[in-house]
Amino acid sequence: MRKEPSNRISPKGLRVWRLYGLMHSAIIWLVAIGGGVLNWWLEGPWWVFMICAVVPLIYTYLFVYLFPKLQWLRWRYEVREQEIELQHGLFIVKRTLVPMVRVQHVDTEQGPILRKYDLASITISTAATNHTIPALITSEADGLRSRISTLARVAEDDV
Amino acid sequence: MSKERYKLHPISAVLNFIKGLKDLIFPFVIIFVANGFQGGASEDKGWWNYIPYIIGPVVLLFVLFSGIIKWKRFVYWFEDDELRIEYGLFVKKKRYIPLERIQSLNYTEGILHRPLKLVKVTIETAGSGASKEAEAELTAISKEAAKLIETELAQAKKRKSNKPAEDDLAVDGIDDVNHVAEATSIPIFKMSLKDLIVLATTSGGIGVMFSGIAVFASQFSELIPYEKIYNEVVVFLKFGLFIVAISVFAVLLVAWLVSVALTILNYYQFTIVQEDDQIVMTRGLLEKKKVTIPLSRVQGIRIIENPLRQLFGYCTVIVESAGGSAGDKEQKIRLFPLVKKNEIEQPLRELFTHLEIEPDWTVSPKRAKIHYYRLDFIWMIPVVGSISYFFYPFGLLSLLIIPIIALLGLWQHRSAAFAVTQNQLSLRNRGFSKSTYFIEKKRMQSFNMKQSYFQKRKNLASIETTIKSGLLGVTAKVDHMNAEDIEEVMTWYEPSGN
Repeated sequence: MRKEPSNRISPKGLRVWRLYGLMHSAIIWLVAIGGGVLNWWLEGPWWVFMICAVVPLIYTYLFVYLFPKLQWLRWRYEVREQEIELQHGLFIVKRTLVPMVRVQHVDTEQGPILRKYDLASITISTAATNHTIPALITSEADGLRSRISTLARVAEDDV
Repeated sequence: MSKERYKLHPISAVLNFIKGLKDLIFPFVIIFVANGFQGGASEDKGWWNYIPYIIGPVVLLFVLFSGIIKWKRFVYWFEDDELRIEYGLFVKKKRYIPLERIQSLNYTEGILHRPLKLVKVTIETAGSGASKEAEAELTAISKEAAKLIETELAQAKKRKSNKPAEDDLAVDGIDDVNHVAEATSIPIFKMSLKDLIVLATTSGGIGVMFSGIAVFASQFSELIPYEKIYNEVVVFLKFGLFIVAISVFAVLLVAWLVSVALTILNYYQFTIVQEDDQIVMTRGLLEKKKVTIPLSRVQGIRIIENPLRQLFGYCTVIVESAGGSAGDKEQKIRLFPLVKKNEIEQPLRELFTHLEIEPDWTVSPKRAKIHYYRLDFIWMIPVVGSISYFFYPFGLLSLLIIPIIALLGLWQHRSAAFAVTQNQLSLRNRGFSKSTYFIEKKRMQSFNMKQSYFQKRKNLASIETTIKSGLLGVTAKVDHMNAEDIEEVMTWYEPSGN
């Protein structure tokens, strides 16, 4: 068995994902409450209330607790001198290998929520593909970005 | 250094006009359809009813004049190793393209070009990013003028390579510039008339075949004693089915005939010639096209065999090439539109010297078989279930889908394979047609190994790699292979791995 890439993304990333999950679920809850009120208004059957309660509960459990956790546990990356290796995926584990020679540019990006947690995402682009590492501490992301761009410049196409 | 300014042939004014008209067809249709609906209701409302009829000719005149002015204003010349173009209707634009950056010249001879011995020249540069600006099109110039561009190009390249004096080519000096212009050309491939006809007739063939079978089958329902079951329903069904099948067949037949005609027009006298490090492709009956692909831009080779053609041993060879015009997202070029599979090896070897066409394939393991159709049950069971339930006696026929899908899955399993050689990854898979990719290691932009929970239990994994094609990428993949084998491929691909 090939060993997994060595680095995990920041644990704060898990919190950000939970926050995203919470936002989704809030919308689902609103819809469900709306449905419940409507059902009460129209004197609909009792099981509609059940659905309105159970579906958002399950959704919240999955998207706030379970999925972010699994996803975080799965996410690994490693930047070596000659290649970048990534591993992620909830149901399908995807392992990606990008040689440094193929890297064309590296971007870091930070939305409002990520900024609040002092995180940033980093995107590595080749001529045909993009690969994103989602949540790294800003200083780490910046360091990684400059490291990748230096390594990518050094790497020579010897094939 | 020639600084003479060249103009396009006057016919390009007409071509501009026609192009302008083409762009206008859509808005015009909308205006007239909208007006038509009004006109039906009201007989005579006043002068504003005629506005569209006034606007029409005005727009037409405008398009005509702009076409003429565009031609009048368009000049190009060579200066300082650059192709310089000046054009523009209201705003004057200048575009300077360094000759060494020009990667290929493509020629098109339309119906209007041919009697006047003219060509349309499209100039392609190494398309990096937003390359729309870096391109130029000379709508109509004489063949001599086109030749001149080629010589200028060759001269510029010569001068360029002479300065650092590192190429063997440069040793000869400047005196035989013309020698370079007349590059050595080796004929690689020519499509015979027979192959062309086979290509044209099998291109949309499967749909027609199926609908033909449907017509045939609807006749056969007489042999089955449905009558005893549901007399009236059967009469309706039989009649309905027949009508539907016949009309579907007729529509498909017409579509097929059109596609046959188009294919023949497009691929008439298809030839591939190798000129130095370029592939030159010429084709077309009414509109002759000549496309040049630098070999260095070829990212991968793909052989496609659709089942019908596979039966007769034919295949299509496609070349994925990088860069190209911003218009097309992917740059798929049919290198050999149709060729006997046992005849491709030699011409491909000649073009791509490092290519290994028959590597040692590693096929998908036996335990992977079920993975090729298992997921399909997710949609099959509800579909088949509901059809069987709602159309009870005949709906049961939908059960036939299950073995068909399963057989297709098994077929896909048999086709799935990969092969690794020193510098090349080859992937083979089947959706409905069989595709075989040959990709050089240095052309692979990234490599993925994918494993779902179910695959992991059986120690299987999928393989995926992306190469550049046009301005985007194309991904080749093979599902359900032995996981350890794929890990080995990953180590092979890893620059620091071996």
